[in-house]
Amino acid sequence: MGIKIPCPNCGPREYTEFTFGGELRDLESPDPDADFRRVYLRENVAGVQTERWFHAHGCRRWLTLRRDTVTNRIDGLA
Amino acid sequence: MGSLDFEGRAVPIEEGDTVASALYRAGVRTFTRSLKHHRRRGPYCMSGDCASCLLTVDDQPGARSCATDARDGMRVKREEGIPSAEVDLLAITDRVRWLMPVGFYSKTFIRPRFTWPLAERVIRSFTGLGHLPVDRMPARKPTRNLRTDVLVIGGGIAGLAAAVAAARDGASVVVCDEGRLGEALAPGPALERIRALGSEVRALSSVTLLERHTAIGVYEGPLVPIVGEEEVVRVDPERVVVATGALERHLAFPGNDLPGVWLGRGAVRMAAVHGVAIGSRAVVVTGTPEAADHVRALRDVGIDVLAIVPEGQAELLPDGVRAAPDAILVAAEGREGVRSVTLETGRGERRVACDALVLSAGRDPRDALLRMADGVEVVGAGDVVWPGCTLDEAVESGTLAGAGSTPVLREPEVAPTPTGGYVCLCEDVTAGELERAWEEGWRSSEILKRYTTATMGPCRGALCGRLLSSFAAAGATAPAAAGRTTARPPGRPVALEDLAAGIHETIEKRTALHERHVEMGGRLDWLGAWKRPLHYGDPLDEYRAVRERVGIMDVGTLGKFLVAGRDAATLLDRVFPCRVDDLTPGRSRYLLALDEAGYLMDDGMLCALDGGRFALTSTSGGADRMEAWLRNWADRLDLHAHIVNRTSMLGAINVAGPRARELLQALGAEGVDAETMPHMSHAEIVVAGVPCHTMRVGFVGEVSFELHHPRSRGVELWDALLQAGAGLGIRPHGLDTLDVLRLEKGHVYLGQDTLPDDHPGKLGLGWAVAMDKPAFVGKVSLERMSSFPLERKLVGLEFEGEPQRGVPLYLGDRVVGRVTSCARSEALGREIGLGWLRAVDGGFPSSLRAGDVPARVVPRPFYDPEGARLRA
Repeated sequence: MGIKIPCPNCGPREYTEFTFGGELRDLESPDPDADFRRVYLRENVAGVQTERWFHAHGCRRWLTLRRDTVTNRIDGLA
Repeated sequence: MGSLDFEGRAVPIEEGDTVASALYRAGVRTFTRSLKHHRRRGPYCMSGDCASCLLTVDDQPGARSCATDARDGMRVKREEGIPSAEVDLLAITDRVRWLMPVGFYSKTFIRPRFTWPLAERVIRSFTGLGHLPVDRMPARKPTRNLRTDVLVIGGGIAGLAAAVAAARDGASVVVCDEGRLGEALAPGPALERIRALGSEVRALSSVTLLERHTAIGVYEGPLVPIVGEEEVVRVDPERVVVATGALERHLAFPGNDLPGVWLGRGAVRMAAVHGVAIGSRAVVVTGTPEAADHVRALRDVGIDVLAIVPEGQAELLPDGVRAAPDAILVAAEGREGVRSVTLETGRGERRVACDALVLSAGRDPRDALLRMADGVEVVGAGDVVWPGCTLDEAVESGTLAGAGSTPVLREPEVAPTPTGGYVCLCEDVTAGELERAWEEGWRSSEILKRYTTATMGPCRGALCGRLLSSFAAAGATAPAAAGRTTARPPGRPVALEDLAAGIHETIEKRTALHERHVEMGGRLDWLGAWKRPLHYGDPLDEYRAVRERVGIMDVGTLGKFLVAGRDAATLLDRVFPCRVDDLTPGRSRYLLALDEAGYLMDDGMLCALDGGRFALTSTSGGADRMEAWLRNWADRLDLHAHIVNRTSMLGAINVAGPRARELLQALGAEGVDAETMPHMSHAEIVVAGVPCHTMRVGFVGEVSFELHHPRSRGVELWDALLQAGAGLGIRPHGLDTLDVLRLEKGHVYLGQDTLPDDHPGKLGLGWAVAMDKPAFVGKVSLERMSSFPLERKLVGLEFEGEPQRGVPLYLGDRVVGRVTSCARSEALGREIGLGWLRAVDGGFPSSLRAGDVPARVVPRPFYDPEGARLRA
């Protein structure tokens, strides 16, 4: 597999330089029930997902991008 | 040119020889025995596609001898056969095939059940294609990464034309070929074109040519791993052009696997490139425009040729060639090799004596790499997309592909339906077995593949894939059932060492004191990526030193961070559950890191520095995660904070024991007295001339100072401590001692005493959480969980006996928990431990059994519960 991640600081780099941070989630929830869903449940979409990556072996910054989970095509930074 | 060693016999090598050509010239005919039926096999394709010439070359089993350069001193042997490939007693399996019917794994030795493990051992000893060398590790191949605009796989005419076209457009180009340019071709127009294009490509500085480099697959990205003899190259191209050509069509008829049956281009390569006549009388099945050239090349080395020609094509043959027009090949016969073939003519069957049978009947695109690249930027060129194309068309399609267009795929002619013999040579699957499988109801190519294992051998379906689909097409009603089976990487056989190239590189982290630990007899072991001392020979003495005198420990592995910037305090307050705003410079606080579910991720110490900066520590294993975690929240919350991971910049030594203070004072440390530096305070203090950020902490339960110092001065500090402490009875100690010391204080080891879904309340760490803070990560989850009854918690335990760590805790005969830590406490004179306990009928039982040992729940900490020694 060879996914190239467009790091805004370092340019396109191989995904193995990064740590996956999961799908982007809200920071807060309106009520405890919504918070339960926010914390425990994932959309797990088969399609374009907005997600977090940490450039652990590079600039050590986080970035948010859109990736198609079926094709691994990256649709730019979010 | 030298010679290679073939089973103890010297075989001379000529210029340009592969292992296969050298052996064949020397008279070797049986190269290997087939997988299941132990039939003789010999060179067939001479293009690296089939598995009929696999040999063990320099201890490496499964080498394709036709694609391996012969070298002086090479050791070559055949692996299969008992006692040898030449005289193989296991050839009896060919006579008792009923023992191994198609799908026999699913049918035979099933009942009674105990028979299968026995039968499997026997069968395994009969099958296989060589033996792995178990007594040596292969040399590790280096990997390199190569980024390029265009990767061209295949250095034939189309591939080279593509490279030239791409380079002309200003692109950087990598061309790889399994062999060397033109090496498999007889002199002629094709070779001339390759030579001309080859020199053009070599002259271009933007083109990198990799010969004897095999592309093994096209992965998404695209990413193409290429295996060379000395290296593995990961190519990361923008575009891929697959120009792997075509191979001569494999036909299935009775006797088609005998040594002496050749694919046309293979026979020609032997004759015209290596100068080896494959026999004296050859029957050639012609069907392609190229076949006339094959006949000519074979005649040129003195082979008497009889050509089977389709209707109306006899005039294409060179003059004087005997032709059998309209004859149909029925079967080949022979024991050790082809001795005759049977032809069906208009006037009945006729047997023709010969010692070679050459198949020049059609060409099949070698398109596995193209087909496995679904959804990837890959185009084909040459025979792959335009099967049977002319040299001009090859250049045309290559130029198109190289310039960024996609040559439109032309469907190859359909392969003839198998009539008998071996459809799949690698896995020994006959046409009859396919028919039987069909009768059993396996009626599509994908299902037939899985049931019979046809196409699953080393050739990866290169030869048999189309035959399998044409077989399915003959019977199937739905077109999908007759399609080609899915192509997947690897497209070529790959050695395990090539797959392992560049990975499994173990990172061993060492602290600055590593050499000292080794010199002092420390027993080191892995803890995560770190090598750390467990003890230095006498753990009990190390323990006594800390409790009674003074001990030092290398804690340089701890995660160490500096958090600064305008919003540093806000970030820490918002992320961690402890209070941050009331922490004044010079004070420290125990810190938990919770995830959003309120579960414990890590713990450490937080020290407020002046100027709104903070020093932070984490566990040794949690350092990387802590950094990522903090950076994530700073980013998500849009806070202005700098997070500096100082883990490898700083060393740390913990000095603990009743005489720890005395030791530091002896080394000139000022301000370490109990009033100036109480428990949970920190200061910059110079110890033995080394500037140390000194923290008074209490993991071991004695007066203790953690000295964080520049890594470069670690050895100096360590030596000074040991020297000055000699009179005080100082000892260095390792993790074994630390385990007992912290257990006596009831402190948990994250990961050992905790479970992934532990919130602080379950661990008795609720005091470290400021629920009155407006917000911190995990707060909402903790609030929600606070309304649930506590279903289990971590408790302190006392034992009457010595339990094993991990044993269940019983209440009567019910399992109600588990022991997570236990040790003999010398200070207390009894066995203590920590363990998980489940609530029983709304309460927590106190009288239990740990395995066979009586156990009692007791309050923590066990040692110095008031903390008088800690705070002294």
